[in-house]
Amino acid sequence: MSDDLNIVGKRVVRSDTLAKVTGQARYTADLKFPNMLTAKVLRSPFPHARILGIDLSRALKVPGVKAAISGFDAYGVKWGVFRYTQDHAMLPTDKVRYVGEDVAAVAAVDEETALEALSLIKVDYEPLPAVFDPEEAMQEGAPQIHEAYQNNINIHVHIDVGDVDRAMAEAFLVREDTFKAAGEAYAMMEPYAVVASYANGFLELWMPNAGPHVRAKALSNLLKMPLNRVRVRHIYSGGAFGGRSEVSPGDLVASLLSIKAGRPVKLVLSREENATSTRQIHDMIATVKTGMSRDGTIVAKDYRVIYDGGAYSSTGPIATSIPFYVYEECYRFPNVRYNGYRVLTNKGIRGMYGCHGRAFLAGNESQMDLMAKELGLDPVDVRLKNGLSSGEMTATKSLITSCGLAQTIARASESTHFKEKWPKAKRGKGIGMGCIAIMCGFPMGFRSGSACYVKMNDDGQATIVTGVVDNGQGNESVVIQVASEVLGIPMEDINLINADTEATNLDPGAYSQAATFVGANAVRVACENARRKITAIAAEKLGVPAEDLDLKDRMVFSMTTPDKKMPVRWIVREAFFRGDPIAATGSYFPKIDIEREWVSRPWGQMAGTFSFGTSVAEVRIDSHTGRITVPRFTAAHDCGRPINPMAVEGQMEGSIQQAGIAAIMEGNLWDHGFLLNPDLLEYKVPLACDMPEIDTIIISSMDPEGPFGAKEGGLTIRMNAYSAIACAVTNATDALFTELPLTPDRVLTILERKKGVKK
Amino acid sequence: MILPKFNYKKAEDIAAAIALYEKAKGRARYLAGGTDLIPRVKLRLSTPGTIIDLKGIEQLHTISRQRGSLIIGANVTLFELKNHDVVKNHFPALYESLDATSCETLQMRGTIGGNILQNTRCLLYNKSLEWRTARGFCYKMGGESCNVVPGASECFSNYCSDNALSLLSLSASVNLAGPGGERKIKLEKLFSGNGRDPFTMRPGEILTEIRVPVKASSGAYEKLRVRNAIDYPLLGVAVSIRNGSGRVCVGGIGPAPRVYPLKDLSKTSLKEVAQHARQEAKPVSNAALSPGYRKKMVQTLTQRAVKRALKEEK
Ligand SMILES: Cc1cc2nc3c(=O)[nH]c(=O)nc-3n(C[C@@H](O)[C@@H](O)[C@H](O)COP(=O)(O)OP(=O)(O)OC[C@H]3O[C@@H](n4cnc5c(N)ncnc54)[C@H](O)[C@@H]3O)c2cc1C
Ligand code: SF4
Repeated sequence: MSDDLNIVGKRVVRSDTLAKVTGQARYTADLKFPNMLTAKVLRSPFPHARILGIDLSRALKVPGVKAAISGFDAYGVKWGVFRYTQDHAMLPTDKVRYVGEDVAAVAAVDEETALEALSLIKVDYEPLPAVFDPEEAMQEGAPQIHEAYQNNINIHVHIDVGDVDRAMAEAFLVREDTFKAAGEAYAMMEPYAVVASYANGFLELWMPNAGPHVRAKALSNLLKMPLNRVRVRHIYSGGAFGGRSEVSPGDLVASLLSIKAGRPVKLVLSREENATSTRQIHDMIATVKTGMSRDGTIVAKDYRVIYDGGAYSSTGPIATSIPFYVYEECYRFPNVRYNGYRVLTNKGIRGMYGCHGRAFLAGNESQMDLMAKELGLDPVDVRLKNGLSSGEMTATKSLITSCGLAQTIARASESTHFKEKWPKAKRGKGIGMGCIAIMCGFPMGFRSGSACYVKMNDDGQATIVTGVVDNGQGNESVVIQVASEVLGIPMEDINLINADTEATNLDPGAYSQAATFVGANAVRVACENARRKITAIAAEKLGVPAEDLDLKDRMVFSMTTPDKKMPVRWIVREAFFRGDPIAATGSYFPKIDIEREWVSRPWGQMAGTFSFGTSVAEVRIDSHTGRITVPRFTAAHDCGRPINPMAVEGQMEGSIQQAGIAAIMEGNLWDHGFLLNPDLLEYKVPLACDMPEIDTIIISSMDPEGPFGAKEGGLTIRMNAYSAIACAVTNATDALFTELPLTPDRVLTILERKKGVKK
Repeated sequence: MILPKFNYKKAEDIAAAIALYEKAKGRARYLAGGTDLIPRVKLRLSTPGTIIDLKGIEQLHTISRQRGSLIIGANVTLFELKNHDVVKNHFPALYESLDATSCETLQMRGTIGGNILQNTRCLLYNKSLEWRTARGFCYKMGGESCNVVPGASECFSNYCSDNALSLLSLSASVNLAGPGGERKIKLEKLFSGNGRDPFTMRPGEILTEIRVPVKASSGAYEKLRVRNAIDYPLLGVAVSIRNGSGRVCVGGIGPAPRVYPLKDLSKTSLKEVAQHARQEAKPVSNAALSPGYRKKMVQTLTQRAVKRALKEEK
């Protein structure tokens, strides 16, 4: 691919920017339809209770109430991402399993009426013993949350490569530590909302989602409705971070109500409901045992990780695996054993997260630093020594095809003078480094690929149709930019139809880092096919070979004799005359091992490619209060070729906030089954004034498969920024953390333990 | 979350406001900036039949100097007060506490009267009706127990005004006007010490003004919070020193602030005050950071605030 690109790789204004900064972008809660009703959900007040009966009759008598439903109005179908995890009825009829679980709902002419009706629904419960701690839940005799999962062990991922016990016995240095982390909240700015409108046998839906096609499929199953009758429409989304990837109870609620009432129904969750009753992030306990040889080579890793999954499976097998994989995709582990347990508790459901795995990843990285120090190495040496490079295999047999890990380490450490600063750390001042790799896409059966349709319109403009969905990260702009580059027309000449299941083709969705690598790749292929049709006609008209033609600024021109040129528009019109309009499809299916399965077959090619990143945090610790401040944060990211460097930097900056600074403040607080901070006041999302000076470095590694060499943008920083913070604290205190977030009380405990002060 | 129904009345002057209150037979609440009241009403923590808006009362909006005191109308916003010359030049503790209050957006809306009269807070209390109903009502909601400390006979909710602390350190007093007439009390007398009902205000009383003796002071305000803006204090310590003696005020833990006199500025008495304050503080698990830590920080931040105040003194 030639390097003199016109649009790709440029700092362009994103296609969605104008609508967003002017407030014109419409989100689900903004939608208004004639006769639309307001829905409200009645939620479980118990962490665990048998449902003896639900009586909706009084609610239905309230004037203005048009429908009321419970699980008894649904079809008895349970949702699960996998066949073996189908345990979530969305509206339970047997028992409730967490405080805040959806139990019944009403649709009324306004919110006040709906609230009044809710208060009249009578549910008979028989409270049951509940369990909130995953380690307790695994004990014999603990309350059993689902019959199917013995000892509440929902998922067990077991990986065993090489001979761990022997390598550990022979290792020069062995260390075992346990790290905990509180689960986080996605805290997306948009609380969950859904509009469902049922008419003429068709159900239309709008909601923030990270994959309209999988959402429609799930609803078609839950509602026993043919898939073509469920249409998930395009809508702006106010953030996902992994939290909008699955069908949500609200989708079923709004759909059932709309079907009953025959009118559009809107359900908007409050901030509190969004926190208590949509999926949040796993609490985690990670035990990390590492064996190193005298020269700092990692010879063995032995892991036991417990994930607090809440009440249902959700993306369980994936969530139980990802922290391990992103780590093994980064470092060479000749012998490794991983036992990941996702354990059910009577808490809200836990799902996948863009920053998932901080106890495990930050624990690994800071432990590695202490071990390296003991061996007289520094964090840079030990990471370079153990880091994977292009052409190598991961422990579970994924080939790394392009790898800029070493460059990210080198550039991040040079720009921060890491090697000079690290040995000079003193109490109260530290520097730390975190590394990671990320798969761009992962096996999802026939949904692993994406397809695009492009047509050229009579004025030489284009319409592209793709399943790619945008959750705010800029995916729409990326595909428009790619199409613009290939077709030689400006971005504003391109109309995008996307993420609408009636019109668009299957796409993996925006949760496996596949949007650019897979989705934009399909757009590229489709546009190249259209371009070939354009150049074929142009070659004929201009009398030059097609290979000599290039497209730019709405013109086709000869590269050797640039005077020979004509507008793309003319060719498009000519094609109409010929009865063969310029239109094309294109698809991309990543080179992955489709047999790979999270639990039953955890090996084989995971993804078409992997991106890499290194974060460096510099921290100050107030030795009297334990308060951490972060004056500077540097992140280097091998994202392949950045399609829009500005957008990649934006993702990196957001990641530093959401994973890095969050590591000193964010975490869910629990009082048994009650979430104590389901709001943005007590759940501490870092504010602008808490942010460090940021330095972002893009390493352009040119992936051979990615569209114009691109991989994914930003997620590696989401998965290593906390490690950099934890390592910097380790550097400053010469001790390991035991629990995240590193709030001042915990940091003070680390400092006092080190000093030998009693509490 | 939508607001429940209530009557909205706007008063022109203090007498009219009191008359409206009496007409509502006690089922009324005064409204200033609303930044404390409106969230409480949304959460159904307060269910007034009538809301009486005081924002139109001119008299409550002024700052003046009279007989050696700065007289601050209750409706003066935190932002206006922060930028007032006397505050900037004479009351460093107050300036710092105002500046540390939430964020500037809130400071422009919230009033000093409302700030002093904001209700006490608890992680298990400032929640929606649904959340609280599921968890069970505690003392502060009319229930029979405390959900944070089972078996306790009192409520440990935290008084989270930053600025009452610095005003206390400056020996402020307040004027109240109500159905029973006017009275003037020392600010510390405003606090009942009872978390269920933290103020000694009589029904229908309006806080009209806050009086602070205008004498140059040195001082400082230290605030414990997780983020650098928006957050309420998990602990606040205000110190003001005038002519070799001063006052330390500790708040953010428990329903009432505590005031400690600094009779002299000797090292031992400073240390004693910091230790004493720590001993007296009784934090419980009802705020973001652990109670043990917050208790420890009472001493640390008191020492720090005093140290800073003394530095200025020199
Ligand atoms: C996100 C957020 C963060 C915050 N952070 C902080 C913080 O860091 N520090 C802090 O100190 N505060 C904080 N607050 C509390 C904030 O409400 C106060 O700082 C503010 O000054 C209250 O003033 P107001 O005029 O809005 O009060 P209102 O809400 O109008 O009134 C508060 C109470 O006082 C009563 N009242 C008001 N005026 C009078 C009067 N003249 N006479 C009698 N009764 C009256 C009302 O009836 C009500 O009960 C925060 C609030 C929010 C929402
Ligand atoms: S401290 Fe106890 S009684 Fe007071 S508000 Fe909190 S839970 Fe209720």
